[in-house]
Amino acid sequence: MTRITEDVPEVDEPEVSLGDRGAAALLDYRDGKPQALADFVKEATPLLWHTVRAQGVDREHADDVVQNTWMALVRNAHTIQEPHAILKWLLVTAKRGAWEAVRKHRDDNKRRTELPDDVLDGPAGALPSPDPTPENQVLVMERDRQLWRAVLRLPDRCQQLLRLISLADRPDYKYISSAIGMPVGSIGSNRGRCLAKLRDIIESEQGDRTWETP
Amino acid sequence: MGNAMNTPLGYSPGEPLDVVDLEILADIARIQVALDPVPVGLVERSLFAITLAGLEAEVMELEYVRIPEMSVRGEAPPVEARTITFTSDSVTVMISLSPTEGGRVRIDGWAAPAAELLVSLHRPGGVSETRSDDDGRFVFDAVDPGPASFVVQPTGSSERAVSTPVIEL
Repeated sequence: MTRITEDVPEVDEPEVSLGDRGAAALLDYRDGKPQALADFVKEATPLLWHTVRAQGVDREHADDVVQNTWMALVRNAHTIQEPHAILKWLLVTAKRGAWEAVRKHRDDNKRRTELPDDVLDGPAGALPSPDPTPENQVLVMERDRQLWRAVLRLPDRCQQLLRLISLADRPDYKYISSAIGMPVGSIGSNRGRCLAKLRDIIESEQGDRTWETP
Repeated sequence: MGNAMNTPLGYSPGEPLDVVDLEILADIARIQVALDPVPVGLVERSLFAITLAGLEAEVMELEYVRIPEMSVRGEAPPVEARTITFTSDSVTVMISLSPTEGGRVRIDGWAAPAAELLVSLHRPGGVSETRSDDDGRFVFDAVDPGPASFVVQPTGSSERAVSTPVIEL
């Protein structure tokens, strides 16, 4: 395989990351100033949402798990040891909440199937596929479809890692990868295994065309 | 499948991140948000939930939702009654939400086991309270749509209050 984009420039790290803003917001909150935390909730909720959804939680229950994660944060605001690991703390908490929801839901479904009268009503929402909307309806650009097909060919953990770090900033990548149990790699300063694999897949599917060509 | 996995790496994991990597990540962010959007109002519900965290009530589980339309969270305004059940170890609360004239919402609630309860309806604008009857039934006649959480406390008992997750009325 040939390298096509040899001369692509490297990029500088942003100075303040999502995790930095979270840490500052948490310290503010401890001091009785809640505004920064509100801004951080707005900014980081998509990251929590996709973390929970990646565990197979349906949309209604994922809504609760995200809310509970934020409640847990403020209940533990004064005891969290490392404000700078706030993203990791949130992701681990969200994942635990998600597993709990999946486990409960599975038990509920088991109980329900033992009661024939309930079957017609259905559970609160059978577990949907992770993507509720058919891709081809949403992704109108062929380039997006190609990219998404390539992402879906990655091992699950790589998919999860790339989906989550894409919602944060580069200095946060190390916290996110350790929160989802990936060996602490070098992604962030370096490209990392998952992105390297993804670019190989993209290139093998595109043949001679470079990524940038529309 | 798998073919590309087995080819030797053309790109090295050890190289610095470049602008193409960042573009790919930005595209991944955009695509996943388009495929599975964060629910409308989740940020507001979370912010409201945070203000309730100080109540130290045990948060109940959203157990069972019967919905005529798409969603209990108000992504599409419902025209019929919605029924939602919440459970905790000590109590189960079922509420039925029906639209009233003028765009408000009537709430009919039942708690089991039947007991007299103090029911507080927490909204971003304040709290309203009512008591259930002996059968555990309670009503809020006409409330405005928006985020809400119910807190239920058995009267004359030291049992802990329980609260529901924030839902959209």
